[in-house]
Amino acid sequence: MTTRADVAPSPGTTPTRARVLARTCRAEWTRLWTVRTTWWFAAAAAVAMVGLGLVAGSDAAGNPDPPYGEPAWVAPAIASLPTQFALLGLALVAVTSEYATSAIVPTLQWAPRRSTFFAARVLVVVGTATGLGALLAVVSGIAAHAMASDILVLPVDDGLSVVGTSAFVFAAGCALAVGLGLVLRSTAGALVAVFLLILLLPLLLPQFGYRWMTEVAEVLPGTSAVFLLTGESGAESITETSAVVTMLVWAAGALTLGWLRLVRDDADR
Amino acid sequence: MIEVRGLTKRYGDVTAVDDLTFDVREGLVTGFLGPNGAGKSTTMRMVLGLDRPTAGRALLHGRPLTSYAEPLREVGALLDPGSMHPGRTGRNHLRVAARTNGVPDERVDEVLEQVGMASAARRRIRTYSLGMRQRLGIAAALLGDPRVLLFDEPVNGLDLDGVRWIRGLLRSLADEGRTVLVSSHLMSEMQQTADRLVVIGRGRLVADATMEEVLAGLGGRQVRVRTTGLDLLACRLRARGRVVRQVDEQEAVVDGSDAREVGDAAHHLGLAVHHLSEVEQSLEQAFLELTGDAVEHHGGTEAVSRTSVEAAR
Repeated sequence: MTTRADVAPSPGTTPTRARVLARTCRAEWTRLWTVRTTWWFAAAAAVAMVGLGLVAGSDAAGNPDPPYGEPAWVAPAIASLPTQFALLGLALVAVTSEYATSAIVPTLQWAPRRSTFFAARVLVVVGTATGLGALLAVVSGIAAHAMASDILVLPVDDGLSVVGTSAFVFAAGCALAVGLGLVLRSTAGALVAVFLLILLLPLLLPQFGYRWMTEVAEVLPGTSAVFLLTGESGAESITETSAVVTMLVWAAGALTLGWLRLVRDDADR
Repeated sequence: MIEVRGLTKRYGDVTAVDDLTFDVREGLVTGFLGPNGAGKSTTMRMVLGLDRPTAGRALLHGRPLTSYAEPLREVGALLDPGSMHPGRTGRNHLRVAARTNGVPDERVDEVLEQVGMASAARRRIRTYSLGMRQRLGIAAALLGDPRVLLFDEPVNGLDLDGVRWIRGLLRSLADEGRTVLVSSHLMSEMQQTADRLVVIGRGRLVADATMEEVLAGLGGRQVRVRTTGLDLLACRLRARGRVVRQVDEQEAVVDGSDAREVGDAAHHLGLAVHHLSEVEQSLEQAFLELTGDAVEHHGGTEAVSRTSVEAAR
C-alpha cells in the first residue's frame, strides 16, 4: 500500500522541453499506429503507389514500341497524384478522429502544453505520411523497373529528384490537412476542404473560362502539386519556385490557424 | 491541493461558472455537488486546463497544470468515460498516456490489474461496457501515481461491487494524503464517501463546508412533535422566535430547536406529548435546501424549498 510519503512531489529532475517534446512524439507515434484507420490508409497508399508502378512497368514491357532508356521513376511521379489522397486521409483522420471520439480530452489532459503537443502532432503525423510516401515512391520505381528491367532504367539522380519532389508534395499536403483538421475539428468538413483545394477547384475553376477563376486556380495547392509532380499545369505562369512557395504558404497558413485554434480554444468545444 | 480563485467561464451570454473560489485540501475526499448544469464538469475541465477560463485561475500546488512537464504525476482525472478512441485497445490507450508522461509500460499493467481490467486490456474499447470504460478511465487517472485526483461522476455505470470498490478507493487515496475531488449527483453516495463538500448552483458557490456543517447548517436541527395542544405549543415556541410548521392536525415540525426545548415548553403548558423526536437531516434534503434557487431547470410541479444559502456556511 502506498503511504503518504510515497506521494510527495517527485524529486527527480524536471524534464527539459526537448525531452517533453520527444516523449509527446513517442506517444503520438503510438497513438497513430494503434488504430486500424492508419493501417487502412497506409495500405491504400501502398496499393496505389506500388500497383501503379507495376502497371507502368508492365505497360512498358508490353509496348510494341518499347520506351528504351526511359527512367522507371516516371511511374512514382505519376502515381504520387492518387497516392497523396490516401496520405492526406491518413494525416487528416489522425487529427479529426480525436475530435469525433472526444479522445482529444484525455490527450490534452495528458499533454497540457498545447504548443508542444501541436509540434509533436505535426512532426509525427506529417513526418510519418511523408516518410511512408517517399518509401513507397522508391518501391514503386523499383517495381516498375523490375517489370521491364531491360527497357526502363533506374538512375539514382532522377530517383532522388522524383522521390524528393513527391516527399515535398506529400509533406505540404499533409501539413495542410493537419492544419485544416485542427481548425475545422470535423472529418467531413476537413475532407471536403482538402479535396476542394487539392483536387476539385484546380480542375473545375479553369473550365469556366473566366480569367480571374483561372488565376485563382493557379494559386491553389492542388495546381502546384500537379505541376511539381508532372511538370504540367495548364497554366503558363507557374514555375517550380512559385509552385513550391504556393504549397508552403498554404501549409504554413493552415498550420498557423490550426495552432491558434488549438492553443486558444477549449479542448473540444 | 487545488486552489480555485475567481474562476469564471462564459459561453456567449451564458455564464456556466461564475466567480468560483474554493480550495480542495489534501487528505480529504471533497465532494463536488450541484444540480445538472451547475458547472461542475466545466470547473473540473478548467482545473485540468481543458477549458480556458474567461477569468480567474485554478492552481495545483500553487502552479497551473500547464507548468508541469509530467502532468500525470501531479493530477489524474476521470472525466467523461466516453472520451476515448473506440478503435484502440484499453492497454494501448494507457500506453499512450504513459509515454506522454515518461511512465514505464509496467505501470500500465499494474493499474490495469488494480482496476480489474487486466483480462480485457487487449480488447478494443468499443467492446467495453460503460462500467469497463469507467474503470479504464480510473486506471488512466491512477497511472502517474498523482497527488491530486479528480473524478467526475465515478460511480456512473458501475455495478454494486464497482460502487463499493470506488468508495474504498477514494477513501484509501485520501488516507494516503492525496487531494481527492469527486463530483456526483448522487447525494447518498457523497454522504458515504465525502469528508467535505463544495456545493455549487448555476455556476456559483453555494456552500464550502464539512459534511457535518452542511447537514447542520439548515437553520439548525428540527424537532417533530405530536400533541393535543398544538396551537398553544406553537404560540409559545413562535414567541421564542422558532418557526413552527404544522404538518398534521396534531403534529408540527419546529425549525432551529431541539427536543429538550420543545419538551420543556410542552411540560410548562401541561400538554400531553405523544411524539417528540429530532429530525435527522439527510444530505439529499440539505442539497435541495441549498440549491433550491440555484437549479437551472425545474420540473413543472416540483416544489423546492428555499433556504438562505448562507445557512450552511
